[in-house]
Amino acid sequence: MVGAFEFAPAIALLPLAAFVVALLFGDYLPKKGAYAGILATAGSLALSLWMLVAVFGGEAYNEELYDWAIGEEITFHFGILIDPLSALMLVIVSLVALLVHVFSMGYMNDEGETGLRRYYAELGLFTFSMLAFVMADNLLMAFIFFELVGLCSYLLIGFWFRTRSAPSAAKKAFLVTRFGDYFFLLGVVAIGATFGTLSFAGDASFVDAAAGAIDAGETFHGFSAETWVTILGLLVLGGVIGKSAQFPLHTWLPDAMEGPTTVSALIHAATMVAAGVYLVARMFGFYALSPTALAIIAFVGAFTALFAATMGVVKDDIKQVLAYSTISQYGYMMLGLGVGGYVAGVFHLMNHAFFKALLFLGAGAVIILMHHEQDMWKMGGLKDKAPVTYYTFLAGALALAGIIPFSGFWSKDEILFDAIILGLEEPIFLVAYAMGLLAVFFTGFYTFRMVFLTFHGEPRTDAARDPHPLGWNVKAPLAVLGVLALVAGVANLAPVAKLTGVDIVFLEHWLDGEYGAVDGLLYSEYTATAGLETAYIAGSETITLIAAGVLALGLALGGAGLAYVLYNVPEPKAHTENLGQAREVLRSNYYQDEFQVWLATGVTLPLARAADRFDGSVIDGVVNGVSSVSLFGSGGMKRLQTGVVTNYAALIVLGFVALLVFFGVYGGWFV
Amino acid sequence: MVVFDLSEWTWTAMGPALVLALTALALFVFDSINPRSTNRPVVAGIATVGSLASLGVAVWYVLAGVGHPDTGGAIDLFGGQLVVDQMALFFMIVVAVVTALVSIASYDYMRDHAYQAEYYSLMLLAATGMSVMAASNSLVTIFIALELASLPSYALVAILKDNKGSVEAGLKYFLIGALSSAIFVYGISLVYGATGHLQLEAIAANLDGEYNGLLGVGVLMLIAGFAFKTASVPFHFWAPEAYEGAPAPISAFLSSASKAAGFVIAFRVFTTAFPLETMTDFGVDWALAFIILAIVTMTVGNFAAATQNNVKRMLAYSSVGHAGYALIGLAALTVDGGELVLGAAMMHLLVYGFMNTGAFLFVALAEYWGVGRTFEDYNGLARQAPIACVALAIFMFSLAGIPPFGGFWSKYFLFTGALEAATVNPALLVVAAALVVNSALSLYYYSRLVKAVWIEDPVLERETLTQPAGLYAAIVAAAVVTVVILPGFGPVAELAYDAAAMLVG
Repeated sequence: MVGAFEFAPAIALLPLAAFVVALLFGDYLPKKGAYAGILATAGSLALSLWMLVAVFGGEAYNEELYDWAIGEEITFHFGILIDPLSALMLVIVSLVALLVHVFSMGYMNDEGETGLRRYYAELGLFTFSMLAFVMADNLLMAFIFFELVGLCSYLLIGFWFRTRSAPSAAKKAFLVTRFGDYFFLLGVVAIGATFGTLSFAGDASFVDAAAGAIDAGETFHGFSAETWVTILGLLVLGGVIGKSAQFPLHTWLPDAMEGPTTVSALIHAATMVAAGVYLVARMFGFYALSPTALAIIAFVGAFTALFAATMGVVKDDIKQVLAYSTISQYGYMMLGLGVGGYVAGVFHLMNHAFFKALLFLGAGAVIILMHHEQDMWKMGGLKDKAPVTYYTFLAGALALAGIIPFSGFWSKDEILFDAIILGLEEPIFLVAYAMGLLAVFFTGFYTFRMVFLTFHGEPRTDAARDPHPLGWNVKAPLAVLGVLALVAGVANLAPVAKLTGVDIVFLEHWLDGEYGAVDGLLYSEYTATAGLETAYIAGSETITLIAAGVLALGLALGGAGLAYVLYNVPEPKAHTENLGQAREVLRSNYYQDEFQVWLATGVTLPLARAADRFDGSVIDGVVNGVSSVSLFGSGGMKRLQTGVVTNYAALIVLGFVALLVFFGVYGGWFV
Repeated sequence: MVVFDLSEWTWTAMGPALVLALTALALFVFDSINPRSTNRPVVAGIATVGSLASLGVAVWYVLAGVGHPDTGGAIDLFGGQLVVDQMALFFMIVVAVVTALVSIASYDYMRDHAYQAEYYSLMLLAATGMSVMAASNSLVTIFIALELASLPSYALVAILKDNKGSVEAGLKYFLIGALSSAIFVYGISLVYGATGHLQLEAIAANLDGEYNGLLGVGVLMLIAGFAFKTASVPFHFWAPEAYEGAPAPISAFLSSASKAAGFVIAFRVFTTAFPLETMTDFGVDWALAFIILAIVTMTVGNFAAATQNNVKRMLAYSSVGHAGYALIGLAALTVDGGELVLGAAMMHLLVYGFMNTGAFLFVALAEYWGVGRTFEDYNGLARQAPIACVALAIFMFSLAGIPPFGGFWSKYFLFTGALEAATVNPALLVVAAALVVNSALSLYYYSRLVKAVWIEDPVLERETLTQPAGLYAAIVAAAVVTVVILPGFGPVAELAYDAAAMLVG
């Protein structure tokens, strides 16, 4: 029987085909390969939806397809794992990729960009890498495509490579994420070496092996199994922190705004940055084994959420604001996962994909309207001139700020709820919760500061008075995503469900294997493994729920309200001066860039110089010595060959006699 | 596959060798009808067709499973004087391939030569000798086949009669060859004296430990004979002179086919007649002798090659070095097995048959063009002859053992085989280390040549170079095989391992 899953590889291979087609024939195709990409991603989306339906029908798929290196201890393979999580993610990725492709026709083709063949080829490769990463059934395959995703980001961020800033930003993105991936690679090797398998699921998964090792009380390299699992988990987490732009490896992401805005949408919503958090969700069973690792994830996430949100407050560039909001929102997802809120984290990942893609594409639309101006202080009053952009952007902003009933509210509320109930049992997590909660206020503020500065008030420049018209290919993706930003929250209305008792937590059931699932990859199993204790205010879930929800919503509204007061005026003024010295710190992003540059020039460079000196003197000295000795020896060997045949005969006889004597004595022939 | 029943016609198992002999006779007939004919297409054509036919028969036999344990095992002929098993067929293939490549290339190289038919018939007689060596199973047939291979070789080296270098090289080769043959035949007599037999299995059956000293000296003398044929140190002195003085296609022929033939008799004699276990008990640890020979040969060959200025001489020494690599096949034989490393040595000789022949044929091409002999004379050739220079780069990198070319894989298997054997005999760690060090050194002088043709600027302006069809065809064919042998390595390796397992097991 040919099941849906037989076609799973095609989901990734279609964009790969688009990549090849665009690369080879892009210049001869209408729209320079955009249609190839659209067709391919539409095909991927259709197939992904089919997977979703198949999983809905109670099936799942975990198959090794091709062994590419067979060893005695371990075998490396390519395989496909389609379970509720990956099926959901496939749909998200292919949908966003499709919309980005469509939008690109308006943003790139209609704006007369050059190098479009390269653009669409790289977009295809990017989509392919991400889809293959999502359906990877083992850690090494995931790593391979994780790296490909990184490579494609590098290529696309540096798309305008003739400018000064884009190649530098691309390099920065590549190097900073590479730094994290270095730990990831170590983690992959260590996991493979420890457990002899890299599969995510199934009987021979490293998750099972790790659980077994902990149960059996084994020790590895002098560490108890649990400590070792923590170490391994943290190594992999290095890659996640790099890719998902968590503190302290977040510095690449704001610079990555140098790429085309469509690329930013793809990177932030569905591919590069999402890859990190997705990886944590993918191997959540492994992290669940280690409360320490989970706590670190939670704190990294909470801190990043707050940290990035404060920086977003003072930015003037519309894309910069969105960049910091991305960092912040991924912090929320990490917080959610770290406090054991697997469903909450995945839920926010999904919602964020929609509303962030929407906001970036909306920003792209604004940039088209503004004739490629990105400074919000030069905008204003676009509300009436571009209503579609405005209303969809507003939907995205409401979702981002977490205003009920937009999607972002539901998932963020759930994350914070999961954090507080854990914090009430283990007070340390209350710190993480507090950071997450505080970030809500900042999020509401910077989001609406952006909306008001861009769309409200009076137009502040000629460009804003006379915006460039938008085509359908810009508006259609916005509309689709706008609707999703509004309604996606329906997937998991946990608070409503708990208050009213109506069973409307679809996503939770979905991730808990109510439909199809692969053994061992279920929400309830993760919860059981992690075994986190929770508590409620006054012992009542309802009170806690309402208190947490009202608090978060109140703060979000407070932030938005402050923005309204300050910026929703006909001629808004910069209020950042009032921040005093804090302004400089925030504008300079807490001097993180400077710090990292100092790390590179002040610490790494001297070390590298010392290593170079060692290499130049000792290593090269030895190598040169060897070669001098070899060449000298060579001269000696050459002199053996005198050209006189009697010498040869003599040498042959002498050589033979020497052998004879040696073996005669050695073998005792003459005794 | 076609299963060919040879039970009635067992002598046909020698088909590949017989075809070569018949071709040589056909050339004689042609020459006696048309003395002094310089009809090159006909004579070169006969030689090429003959060697290709021999190749075809050998490949057909392998595919049909002649000599394979599944089809009745090795075929004994004339009371065990000759034996056709998979190893014999394997080396018959090597000999036939090299002969075919050299015949094609000689068409252009020997264009102004007076003795066309003589040249080809001598070559085919030598090839017949080598092919028979592959199947020889008694010290007598080995000696006869060896001489059949050697005597025409002396004449071939000296065939450029008005070239001083060629004649001198021929004479030196002959003198050293005579000395080595004398030692070899003396060794045979001592072995006969110790065991009373010449047939290899019979020798093995009659090792009684009575005359150990006699046997030991005899065995060492046999080793000396093989070392001469394979150009191993210290019996290699003829090789640089002979290869340099001889016409380049003959250098290719001798350094590839003749060396392979020398190895096949060494493999057969030592695995069949002198089982290592018995011989070690008697105090004749011939594996140790091969360990020493392998290390010394690799080192001398590669070190001497490193600073040569003359390309042909560099290749001659590199050929000595490669003999050292192939000797690992015998050196790493241990009491409990070793078919892997022996198979690896056989594979190395097969790959070597292509890459080394190709390299010497490139030198033949350069001599045909008359560009000179040193590295500098080769500078910038790639601009005028890119195809041949790509092939040259392939040969050089494959000889050095760079992936993905064939030479890498065979060397890699030799290396792993030696390491595996090192668990039994730690001395092999030294052999493995020597292999690595020497390979690294060899990259230096091989890449020098690649650098010369591809990167350096020509010293003198050259006129346009012609593209002789025969030489080009042979070089390109050898290069293609050097590359595509990689995906085809599975079956080749299987054949080599099977052959080795039959011999050792």
